[in-house]
Amino acid sequence: MTWETVIGLEVHVQLGTRTKMFCGCAALYGEDPNTNVCPVCLGLPGALPAPNAEAIALGTRAALALNCTVHPVSIFARKNYFYPDLPKGYQISQFDRPLATGGRLVIESPERGTLEVGITRLHLEEDAGKSIHDRFPGLTAVDLNRAGVPLAEIVSEPDLRSPGEARAYLTALKQVLVYAGAGDCSMEKGHLRVDGNISVRRRGETRLGTKTEVKNVNSFANIERALISERDRQIALLEAGGRVTQVTMLFNAASGQVRPMRSKEESHDYRYFPDPDLPPLVLPPEWVETQRQALPELPGAKIARLESQYGLPGYDARVLAGEVALADYYEATVAAGADPKAAANWVMTEVMTAWNETGSLPVPAASLGALITLVKDGTLSLQAAKKVFAEVRSSGGEPRGVAERLGLIQVRDESALEEWVDAVVAAHPDEVARYRAGETKLVGFLVGQIMKRSQGKADPKGVQPVLLRRLQS
Amino acid sequence: MSLRALGADTAARLRAAESLNAVLHWSEAHLEHEAARLEAGPLGPLGGMPVAVKDNIVTLDLPTTCASRILEGYVSPYEATAIRRLRAAGGMVAAKTNLDEFAMGSSTEHSAFGRVHHPLDPALVPGGSSGGSGALVAAGVVPAALGSETGGSVRQPAAFCGVVGVKPSYGRVSRFGLVAFGSSLDCISVFGRTVSDAARVLSAISGEDPRDATTLAEPPMPVPEPRADLKGLTIGLPKEYFPPDLDPGVRAGMDRAIARIRDLGARTVEVSLPHSPYAVPTYYILAPAEASANLARYDGVRYGPPRPAGLPDVRALYQATRGHGFGPEVRRRILIGTYVLSAGYYEAYYGKAQRMRARIADDFSQVFATGIDLLFTPTTPTPAFRAGEKTEDPVQMYLADIFVCAVSLAGLPGMSLPIGRSGGLPIGGQLIAPYGADGPMLAAAAALERGLDPTEEVR
Amino acid sequence: MRISPDEVLKVARLAELAVAEADLPTLVRQFNDIVGYVAQLDALPPEGDITPFASGPAAVRWRPDVVGPEPLVLPPAALAPAFRNGFFVVPRLASMEPE
Repeated sequence: MTWETVIGLEVHVQLGTRTKMFCGCAALYGEDPNTNVCPVCLGLPGALPAPNAEAIALGTRAALALNCTVHPVSIFARKNYFYPDLPKGYQISQFDRPLATGGRLVIESPERGTLEVGITRLHLEEDAGKSIHDRFPGLTAVDLNRAGVPLAEIVSEPDLRSPGEARAYLTALKQVLVYAGAGDCSMEKGHLRVDGNISVRRRGETRLGTKTEVKNVNSFANIERALISERDRQIALLEAGGRVTQVTMLFNAASGQVRPMRSKEESHDYRYFPDPDLPPLVLPPEWVETQRQALPELPGAKIARLESQYGLPGYDARVLAGEVALADYYEATVAAGADPKAAANWVMTEVMTAWNETGSLPVPAASLGALITLVKDGTLSLQAAKKVFAEVRSSGGEPRGVAERLGLIQVRDESALEEWVDAVVAAHPDEVARYRAGETKLVGFLVGQIMKRSQGKADPKGVQPVLLRRLQS
Repeated sequence: MSLRALGADTAARLRAAESLNAVLHWSEAHLEHEAARLEAGPLGPLGGMPVAVKDNIVTLDLPTTCASRILEGYVSPYEATAIRRLRAAGGMVAAKTNLDEFAMGSSTEHSAFGRVHHPLDPALVPGGSSGGSGALVAAGVVPAALGSETGGSVRQPAAFCGVVGVKPSYGRVSRFGLVAFGSSLDCISVFGRTVSDAARVLSAISGEDPRDATTLAEPPMPVPEPRADLKGLTIGLPKEYFPPDLDPGVRAGMDRAIARIRDLGARTVEVSLPHSPYAVPTYYILAPAEASANLARYDGVRYGPPRPAGLPDVRALYQATRGHGFGPEVRRRILIGTYVLSAGYYEAYYGKAQRMRARIADDFSQVFATGIDLLFTPTTPTPAFRAGEKTEDPVQMYLADIFVCAVSLAGLPGMSLPIGRSGGLPIGGQLIAPYGADGPMLAAAAALERGLDPTEEVR
Repeated sequence: MRISPDEVLKVARLAELAVAEADLPTLVRQFNDIVGYVAQLDALPPEGDITPFASGPAAVRWRPDVVGPEPLVLPPAALAPAFRNGFFVVPRLASMEPE
């Protein structure tokens, strides 16, 4: 019995605006509770919503970056339910007339290679506040600073076939959204939240199995773990002759397992209807075109261009395009004269390490470019260059100057080389004799000795011809 | 009269009218404060006019309760745009007036703080939901008052009380700070002793507001120049508003007013608004539906009545707050509204009502497109009725709105003008104008006002 | 088509309105009267595609993304029935689930 897993993901991203979706409160992070509030986001009697132009723009750009059809007219709708951090007793969202539908995202599936995943829809909505259940015993504490913050909800088609693919989708989605400038998509800050829908079916079956919802996951790695756990649970259940019921499963990061939420007495009836406080959202075609023009080169296009323009293999191009800052840095390094392949290696190793540790690029691209050129023209060995890089990273400076200061410049001066060659030849008469007798491999040993005697400063490429001349004489 | 004296005089009048139960909040200190504020700066065009405010419009210094226990003692931390503009224009906020709870009603009998008495006969209702404001103006306590309309709640009490009541075009006046009942219908509206008083107040509070996305992108309406007569105008008389069983007093009043309209030089012509019979049921689907969502915020979490002890969980909090805090009419409407939006019923009720609304609006557009300038109809089917007469049967109460409801659904400007008395009770005639034609409507009303004695017996 | 007491109670639950046992019969009767009255629309033949009507502007105005909230003359603490250390507090959730 082989099983097929079917997964769809619902992602909520906070749009990177200054103010909330429907009021002029600042959309800030980490402030004292209930200090970023006003009559509108508090849901006070008589308050009314006023939609944020930047949220509309960023949502539109995100939709365009995901190849969606952006609808010239969409409608805000009320989603009605009661919850302590939902001030109005309804959330302003979009229902049957969303901002955008019918998009697609290219991902690298761990099992199936390059894959196009459908995007069902993208719509705008406001966030709810935060409910904290463990701050005061027996009470729930409510902070409405987050209430009203603008979100884009992005729903994928159920095109994903494994938890690994789900994770790859999230990585690709975040990358595109960050490129498009929609927001920072930081899961740590809660600016990107994911719910997964997962079902299983026998391979070959076309109907979908009953799906469950997986929530409360706070990292891409945990999404994968949670979906694996739920997939396995469903398969075990079905193989034992049971049936999957439509429940919501909560992920527990400590155990790596999912468990069902307390069962609901009845499912929600949200009673959606168009919000009478908000006339239709109309996007003039010229304005949508302006948003399209404002998009930077997106990951797919950038990867293709890095491959063709710099002759890089696909893997390298994808790594470099992982973040715009890295890709820009790479190109600036090449523009400063570095060999493209060497530059790619450097960015993917030394630079990436610094970036991952500190989130910054401490060595200016022009300096790296110069450094790479010093290696290429033989002035520095690769090891020496890495030392120079580390020094520039921590203390600044210009590569050649730093190299000279550290005494790392490779010596290519013939007379200096001849001195070392003569010294080593004199010190190893046996090996020299054996070489002259035909053991040509001993060149490597002698070069090594010369490098040692010169304390690494001799340029190995320059040493070899000088040594050979000496040995043949 | 100085502003201080005006404040003191208003206080005396409010005190003298206490038996009406038309006021929920007022104080001498507040009136003094208002007078001092007006005295301190340049006086705007309203010149210190004392204006009463329906207690579903938020003010800073006086509470806003919407005549509900769920907001008892609530003091708003912000001010409605209409109030800010009223005060900036030189208006003096005199008092907060009684209403049907959350503006749901046609008699002001559904207030949690007791009903309002008709100024001419305490056994009668003043109409509703803005009965407090209407009664105060009729009793001569203030020259003007703000009310709100969702389905006729200013025009109808204006007719019952014998004062002018003006509902502007939807979107003319900002709703920011008007406690929402039916958002696509709600309009802050104005009572006045005269057309001129009402027009001046309406002008002061009107105009685009970036805080309210449903306001028209237009500057404040200028005070219209009153017409001397009605020459050149064609007034339509929709036959559906003159049924054979119309109250004889109302009919006599209308006949007299129509004769006057012709004397003033207008042409009258019978027209038809064929979807009129569906206005009330359409309204009683759409308004409660919107209300059910608008009143969901009253959950006792962020504001509301003192919290009872020993609540086991938050759901108990909601049910206790809302169960005890809302009166029976409000609860009924929330339930109806929830029902017509719920899964399986949306299309049959809400969907159909939306479509019927479009047809009702279209009836008016088509009539106005044939060269009709204004429509003239009775405002109410009868004069003021007795308290308790209609409270047993909700649907009977709804039918009191039969002539005012369609105008609200269509978003049109409409007003009631007192046109005479029947058995001592006021009768109102309603003018209806095309969307946006608030000015011309008021200009014509001024001419008709001059031509009619509103205290004259019509039979 | 009569609406049963159970249905009325279900609607009341959706609206978080407690209904006392004693009030239920009257409420059910009035509910049915009202729904029966408005249901005359349901009896009308279905129409073609008519756009739902709204007065006011045809398109929603956009607000510039500039910080400037409507100021609060009283802080949340002054309005709240229960407030602790900067938070609104409510009795702990039991049978409700988060969204």
